[in-house]
Amino acid sequence: MAEKIKPPRMRLPRKVKQDEVFKVKVRFDHPSFTGLGRADVDETKFNRAVPSRFIRNMLVYYGDDLVSRFRMSSGIADDPLFTFKLKAVKQAPIKVVFVDNEGERWESSKDLKIKT
Amino acid sequence: MGKAASPGQLARAVVLGLGLALSAAAYAAAVTEEFQIQGLVSPASPKALAAALEEQLAVKVVGFDLRDTASGWPVMRVEFEEGAVTRDDVAAVIDQTEDPTGRMFKVHAGPPVLSVAPLAEEMTAAGTLGDPPSAALELTSPVEATSESLARGLKLYVANCVKCHGADGGGTGPSTHGIDTDPRKLWVWGSAGDAADGYLFSVISDGRTDMPPWGLVLSENERWDLVNYIKSLPPPQ
Ligand code: HEC
Repeated sequence: MAEKIKPPRMRLPRKVKQDEVFKVKVRFDHPSFTGLGRADVDETKFNRAVPSRFIRNMLVYYGDDLVSRFRMSSGIADDPLFTFKLKAVKQAPIKVVFVDNEGERWESSKDLKIKT
Repeated sequence: MGKAASPGQLARAVVLGLGLALSAAAYAAAVTEEFQIQGLVSPASPKALAAALEEQLAVKVVGFDLRDTASGWPVMRVEFEEGAVTRDDVAAVIDQTEDPTGRMFKVHAGPPVLSVAPLAEEMTAAGTLGDPPSAALELTSPVEATSESLARGLKLYVANCVKCHGADGGGTGPSTHGIDTDPRKLWVWGSAGDAADGYLFSVISDGRTDMPPWGLVLSENERWDLVNYIKSLPPPQ
């Protein structure tokens, strides 16, 4: 049943100028369940129905530096798309790391190229 | 069959006798086991699960407690004869059965895993946020704790903080589901003096671990109203 979750996909501009502010887009196909559901038609309150599963953390590294950290809760969407900005201070890989509430970890990385 | 009538009959009688004895023993040891079930998500779920179990194993589903169970998970009670079927057999069938909605049922094996311990990498990342600068700790509230300030503080508190810290400041708001750090009990600051101002203001402004940095969202005066409000929270009765 459960499909294997693939690493996130990241998109960077092909080339950026030194010190330019650029956008990073990250798409991560990961399910999101709060773990709550209704087990009965007449049920007026929510019960536990399925185990909760959601993305807990996204860490963004620029070269060796941790430059941003996103905390998520069970309110996060399925398969979210993240867009954020970074400043091109150096030519180095950008890496994103995802950790979900079960402690599973995924990462992907891409080189940022600076126009010379 | 016909030729060895007498020994055959004897054998059959023995088998029959043995069978009776066995089933009598087994009947005496009929057990009812409870299973906490994950995946009972639709009204048709209990019926589908009971049908699958009774079809595949010699068991009888004697009932469901769908709500108000001690653990919060729905409970299914299954009766079977000890020796003929084991708890593991029943669990295995449950785990292989699909709900009509397409999800698999599962025997719930323990308290829900809302969050396993953070990875070392996450801990390091959290640590990089650091302690409040010591200068910030010296601050005292420039906004007097008047009833207007407290009223503004209450409004801001309800809009922004209750989801984690709870209405009474007890730290059990609904959004605590899914974060790793317990939001602090804020009522402990209820009778704090001015010395706490700088600390509270800097934590509210800059955040810490799972506490968001409200300095990005709320004005300085609004944050002082919140400090005043927190210092007025009564301890729980
Ligand atoms: C997302 C949940 C969340 C929200 C929303 C939130 N907090 Fe917090 N808060 C926390 C957590 C978690 C901590 C504990 C952080 C730590 O110690 O690492 C905390 C700690 C604090 C502390 C420090 C208390 C102490 O004893 O050290 C104060 C003060 C505080 N929060 C005030 C507020 C105020 C005021 C608001 C609303 C503007 C607010 N919080 C909204 C989660 C939250």
